Amino acid sequence: MPKWNDLQGRSFLESNARDRAVGLVDEGTFTELAGPFDRFYSPHLETLGEAVEFDDGIVTGVGRVGVTPVFVISQEGKFIGGSVGEVGGAKMVNAIRLAIEFHDTLAAAHPDLTDAEKPIVVISFETGGVRLHESNAGLLAHAEVMDQLQKARGKVPVIAVIGSKVGCFGGMGFVAAATDCIVMSEFGRLGLTGPEVIEQEMGKEEFDSGDRALVFRTTGGKHKYIVGDCNYLVADTLGAFHDQIAELATKSLADFEAMRRIGSPEKVAQQLRGVALAAEMQPKDARDVWAHAGNADPVALTDMPLPDFLAQVKRLSV
Amino acid sequence: MDATESMMGRGREAIDMIVDPESFTENAIGAKTFDDPDFGPCAAVGTATLDGQTVTIIASDGQAFNERFPVVYAGIIGMEEGYKMAQAVYASLEADADKPKEEKRPLVLIVDTPGNGPGKVEEIFGMNKATGAYQLALAEARLAGHPIIAMVIGRAISGAFLCHGLQADNILSLDASFGTMIHVMPLTSVSRIIRKDLEVLEELSKSNPVFAAGPQFFYALGGVEELVDQTDKMRAAIIDHIATVRAAKAAGQDDTLGPWGRGALGAERDGRVVRPKVMDLMNQEFAAVAGQYAPQR
Repeated sequence: MPKWNDLQGRSFLESNARDRAVGLVDEGTFTELAGPFDRFYSPHLETLGEAVEFDDGIVTGVGRVGVTPVFVISQEGKFIGGSVGEVGGAKMVNAIRLAIEFHDTLAAAHPDLTDAEKPIVVISFETGGVRLHESNAGLLAHAEVMDQLQKARGKVPVIAVIGSKVGCFGGMGFVAAATDCIVMSEFGRLGLTGPEVIEQEMGKEEFDSGDRALVFRTTGGKHKYIVGDCNYLVADTLGAFHDQIAELATKSLADFEAMRRIGSPEKVAQQLRGVALAAEMQPKDARDVWAHAGNADPVALTDMPLPDFLAQVKRLSV
Repeated sequence: MDATESMMGRGREAIDMIVDPESFTENAIGAKTFDDPDFGPCAAVGTATLDGQTVTIIASDGQAFNERFPVVYAGIIGMEEGYKMAQAVYASLEADADKPKEEKRPLVLIVDTPGNGPGKVEEIFGMNKATGAYQLALAEARLAGHPIIAMVIGRAISGAFLCHGLQADNILSLDASFGTMIHVMPLTSVSRIIRKDLEVLEELSKSNPVFAAGPQFFYALGGVEELVDQTDKMRAAIIDHIATVRAAKAAGQDDTLGPWGRGALGAERDGRVVRPKVMDLMNQEFAAVAGQYAPQR
C-alpha cells in the first residue's frame, strides 16, 4: 500500500480505485467495508466462466476528512470497465444507506451536531453503467442508488468525483447528475449515451466517436464546468480532489442544495431554460456553447493550462 | 381483445383502456398546465380518474416526433420529455401538498420507451440531468406517500426504464405474449459485446435470469411485481396495486415498496441472493468501527 503522502501528489487519472479511496480521505482514516478479504464476488461472472475480483470492481468504506465522516465509493475502471452488477451495486447502495443511518444515529445522540460533523458520501465514478454480464441485476441496482440519493436529501450531502479514464456514462451518468456537487478534473468525462453508442445508433454524421478531441469537448471536465454540469474543476492529483472535499465537508445543507442541478421544481425550470437554448442554438459543437457563454476565443480554451482557464473562462448562465 | 396483440407504440390507447371512460384531461395537473403542444411530445401527461379517484397519468407516446430534437421519436425520452415528466410529478406533489399522506393522488406510469435521447446536442446540454430529474421527482413523490404504479405495455429498455418505471412503488408488465421487452439490450447484442456464444447465454438464462431479456426474467429477479396476461386486466390490476401500496404506506411498510422493496423480492424469488449477504456484512463491519467515526467529545 503506497504511503498517503505519496498518494496526494499522484495523478488521479492514473490511480486505481483503492488508492483513490484511501487518498480522498485523511491519512490513516480509511476502513474498507466488504473489501477483497471478504471475498464477495459476482456469482454471475462465475457462471459465465469469466474472471472475478474479490471486490467486484468497487471499493467501499468509511474515512474522515477533518471531523467529517466520509463514506467512500470508488469504482475501478480496469475491471470490466467499472461496470455495475449485483454485488458492486449492493455495495454502492448500502454505503449510501449506511451514511444516512449513521447521520440519523448521530443526529439523535447529538442535538448540537455541526455541519462539519455530519457524514457525507463521496462517489468516485469510473464506469459505463450497467454490467452486461448481469445486466438485469445491474439495472435494478441503479434504481436502488437513485432511491438512496433521494433518501439522502436534506441529511447527507453526496459529492461526485470524476477524473478517471473511463469517465462516467450510462446509468451512472444520471446518478452523478443526481448528486449534490460534482468535482471533476479536465480529464474527467461525464455523459449519458457514450459517443460510440450515439454513432452506432444515429450515424457518424451525428457524432464521430473517433474524433477524440470532439469527444472530450462534448463530455470533458472543461465543458461540464462551462455549462454548470460540474461545480469545481481541480488539478489531476489525488491531493487536489482531497482538498476540495475537505473544503466542501464543512458546508451547510443549504449550500449543497444550492449547488445542485436537479431535484426541485425550481432547478427543473432552470434546466428547461437551457433546453430552450439548445433548441434555439442547435449547436454542432460544444464550442458554439462556449462562445455563447461569452468566451471570445473558444478554441484556445481546450489546451489552456487549468489556472489560466479558471481565471478567465466565462460560464454559461441561462 | 386478442391476448397476443402487441401494445407497442399505443401508449395513448392504453390510457383509455385503464382510466375511467372519458376522464383523461391531458396537459393539466392540479394548478399546472402544459400549454405548448410541441413541448416534449413523446410524453403524454395529465389527470384522469381511476375507479373514481384522481390520478396523474404519465405515458409514453410512441407515435409522436419531437420537431425540435430530431433524435426524439417513437417513445424516446428526450430532454424536454424528461423535464416534462418531472414537472408532472412536481405538479402532483404541489396539488396534494396539504393533504394527509393517505390521500395523496396515485401516479400511473404507462411505459413504452426504447431509450433516452441519443444525440450530440443532448450530450452537450446534459441529457443525464433530464432523466435524473424525473427519477428524483418520482422518488420524492413516492416517499411523500403518493402510490406510484408502473404498467409496462411495450418497451422498457435500459436507462429509459430506469427513468420511466423503476422508481415506482410497484411495477406491472404485460407478459411476454404481448412482445413486451424489458432489458438493457437483447441477448444477441450482449453475446456480441461480452463475446459469449448466444446458445450458451440462452441456456444459462433458463437457470439464471440476470442475462436474459423479457418480463418473465425481470419477474424472477424481483424487478417486476406482477405479470398481466390480458390487456383488459390492466385496469383492475393497477387499481389493486394502488390499494395494496396505500395500505403498505399507511402501515409504515415503505421498505417493502419501490427499488428497495424489489431488492428483498429479488432474494425471495431466488433471483438476487448475494445482494443481502453483502449488505449484512457491510453493516456488521461498519458497526464494529462506527465509534471511531462519531464526534469525539
